[in-house]
Amino acid sequence: MNALLAHINFRKLVITLTISWLGIFVLMPHLMVVGTSFLTHDSDHFASLPLTLENYRQVLDATYAGVFWNSLVLSGITTVIALLIGYPFAYLLSRMGRVSRTVLLFMMVIPFWTNSLIRIYAIKMLLGKKGLFNTVLVSTGIVDKPLQLLYTDFAVIFGLVYILLPFMVLPLMASFDKLDQSLIEAGRDLGANAFHRFSQIILPLTMPGIVAGCLIVFLPAMGMFYVADLLGGAKSLLLGNIIKNQFLVARDWPFGSAFSVFLIVLMGALLWVYYKANQYVQKKGGMDDQNL
Amino acid sequence: MTLNSLFRNATAAAALLVAAATQAANDKVVIYNWSEYVPEGVLEEFTEETGIEVEYNTYESNEVMYSKIKIQNAKGYDVIVPSSYYISKMAREGLLAKLDHSKLPNMDHLYGTLLDKPYDPGNQYSLPYTWGSTGIGINTDDIDKNSITGWKDLWDSKWENSLLLTDDVREVFQMALAVQGHSANTRDPQEIKQAFELLKKLMPNVLTFNSDAPREPYMAGDVSLGMIWNGEVIMAQEEMPEIQYIYPKEGVILWVDSFAIPANAENKDAAHKFINFMMRPDIAVRTVEYTGYATANKTAIRQLDPETRGNPTIFPTWEVINRGEFQEDVGDEATALFNQYWEELKAGM
Repeated sequence: MNALLAHINFRKLVITLTISWLGIFVLMPHLMVVGTSFLTHDSDHFASLPLTLENYRQVLDATYAGVFWNSLVLSGITTVIALLIGYPFAYLLSRMGRVSRTVLLFMMVIPFWTNSLIRIYAIKMLLGKKGLFNTVLVSTGIVDKPLQLLYTDFAVIFGLVYILLPFMVLPLMASFDKLDQSLIEAGRDLGANAFHRFSQIILPLTMPGIVAGCLIVFLPAMGMFYVADLLGGAKSLLLGNIIKNQFLVARDWPFGSAFSVFLIVLMGALLWVYYKANQYVQKKGGMDDQNL
Repeated sequence: MTLNSLFRNATAAAALLVAAATQAANDKVVIYNWSEYVPEGVLEEFTEETGIEVEYNTYESNEVMYSKIKIQNAKGYDVIVPSSYYISKMAREGLLAKLDHSKLPNMDHLYGTLLDKPYDPGNQYSLPYTWGSTGIGINTDDIDKNSITGWKDLWDSKWENSLLLTDDVREVFQMALAVQGHSANTRDPQEIKQAFELLKKLMPNVLTFNSDAPREPYMAGDVSLGMIWNGEVIMAQEEMPEIQYIYPKEGVILWVDSFAIPANAENKDAAHKFINFMMRPDIAVRTVEYTGYATANKTAIRQLDPETRGNPTIFPTWEVINRGEFQEDVGDEATALFNQYWEELKAGM
């Protein structure tokens, strides 16, 4: 009886803690951001009344369309590259014995114990004109003089892929783990070749992992201002750079907030797409498929 | 351990913490300064001499420092080092505390020409620390030094995608305004717009913005030409003498960084002690040697070795100073306009 009571109290405690934590550190700040986004810019007090929609009109201003497009392209390329690397990687991991798999996963996660800012500085040293890449390229005679790698879109994409790759691999691995081997064997028995087995069985069944991985890579990529600052040369390449500049340099908090809300809404829309895609997958060819 | 003893221990620990906190309030000073602006070992010496513990934080632009001080209601830091025009702006907004000159005897060592400036008449709120300039940095191994004489040369299309600019809206605009023969402190929207149009043409040449340590891209070989602060060149020359400094013929960008105390600083006494300590001639000498920026301390200048004193990159000639221009506060309206164009420049790249 006592044990049961303790158990219930413990549960209550955990739930209360979680909810208050989320309330104080997630809900409240977001509500403040949403609230600020409707206020008027005031250089003395950061934000003041009256309420206005002007900030949102400004978000849609033509000036930022370029940055928005740039963000989409950079994040899109990052996502595709992460997927192309992450998919075979996750597949191989799921096919391995338990020990080697644990070791490989461990090796992928270890760099994450180092602060990402420090790792970005390290990439900066690799990509510089006197960095490792250029030294190798020049000394092997592949190029005559060092290439401009740093402070380019290439450097930003390189950094983003490097930082975000594990977020692609982990959901994909979860999908591969759930993949029922007997389905693939059945496909082979019924005469499907490797390509068909992949496109008709493996790909649809791992689609939730693909969509989840892409979302978890794509969305943060648009906000990672420090990667664009350090590797891209502090030009406003990502939406995150604009938000940072509005808060720290221009001190237009309402506008910066409106931009943040815009990103959150975009994220919500993409999550909705994910939800729909998931439903679709479960309906057609998924484990819950009536025809299976 | 019983619950009771646990509780007692917790109370004791809390009491200790409170004691530590009150003690800290008297024996601590929180400095908020530009990165790499105090010689190594000086902070430790200050603690040794006075028993005051130093907490040190850095920033890389006046805008970021101002935002922090403003949002924290001028609390949280005890000593800050704003550039010239930010002193008047922050004093006007009530963010700075008046200095008690009786606690700052070392101010007798300061240069008269750097005192009592329009941005702080009578030095009520600030005392100059170092002064320097923003000019053109060049790697003479890659580019002939004689081929570059002024800001205008940066617009040459052969520098496509190769220049470094400081990540500072006012400095970048001052460069364009100087090329057009206008004052850096203009509030005329027409002149600011013209400068913006000119800068738009410069953007294809820009590889990177950097106000953290602008010398580093030069030293890493990624950049051979662009803007730089004079002190950064001095620091770079220790390893790479080929990195040199040019005073542009249109006029160099001059600035003074001054010590100030935020209005609601918790440790004002300790802050005065720290500022006074930094104005001691021997410390000022070490500051010049470490940072490569000119000191505001006339006693210290006499103690410098002749080579440092005669280095034109650290101490420009009067002719250069007279042709250069100091930044002043241009008011909220013009500032907003500068910022808006700045965003457009960076977003349009």
